[in-house]
Amino acid sequence: MLEPQLVRLVLPRRPHVELEAGQAVETLGLKAGFSRDTLAEVRLAVVEACLNALEYGGGEIEVELAAHTDGSPWLEVRVVDHGPGFDPDSVPRPQLRSKLRAERKRGWGLELMRRLMDEVEINSRPGRTQVRMIRRQRGG
Amino acid sequence: MTVDTFELRVESRDGSLGMLEVAGYINNEAGEAIAREARRLIEGGHHTLLLDLAATRIINSIGISLLLEVLEQILEIKGTLAFCSLSASITKTFQIMGLSQYTRIFPDRATALTALSGPA
Repeated sequence: MLEPQLVRLVLPRRPHVELEAGQAVETLGLKAGFSRDTLAEVRLAVVEACLNALEYGGGEIEVELAAHTDGSPWLEVRVVDHGPGFDPDSVPRPQLRSKLRAERKRGWGLELMRRLMDEVEINSRPGRTQVRMIRRQRGG
Repeated sequence: MTVDTFELRVESRDGSLGMLEVAGYINNEAGEAIAREARRLIEGGHHTLLLDLAATRIINSIGISLLLEVLEQILEIKGTLAFCSLSASITKTFQIMGLSQYTRIFPDRATALTALSGPA
């Protein structure tokens, strides 16, 4: 059985740091044989998870990437922050029609993560929020 | 400069068409710049705006929300917001949001300009 290829980043809270996590997804994924289109979607999901950690979380942001290439390849991502935590079930799903009329047009990050990835699991409590996401390579 | 460096070129074309050629990462700062230039074009009488995203690989959700402000302004004047040359992931992002219901999306700039410059 092949061991997964791993990358671990500890990111400081500074502007554009989310792109470093996105770049790591691309570098690891290409090496592991994922398509650029798949990686572009994973990259955006990881950027969104990091942005949430930057905006609502606290402390350094830990990003762990694992490329599993034993059998059908899949990518596993964990983004951890140390902020106050939140209840993911309390985040409303955005609707474009109502967003167009609303003062606040934001609130798409979680929805994008859920729709771009195959699995998204959020475990959050005061002091630690972990977003774990999985994306499988599709097609040949 | 990296592929994610933001650049914006604004072009006022004949008639009511304004074009914004965007390169790089569309985040809050880039989204605000686009929204500002779009507002300027709308106030200058342009009812149709085309955003060419050929050199944009990623739009984050904050950038998207700022594009929604542009869309809201365009809808208020019964104008048209169009996009062209979208990457596969940006196409999917727009599809997830349902943007194709409210905007026009073209495969490339030439197709967009032909369609948008024609008689209304």
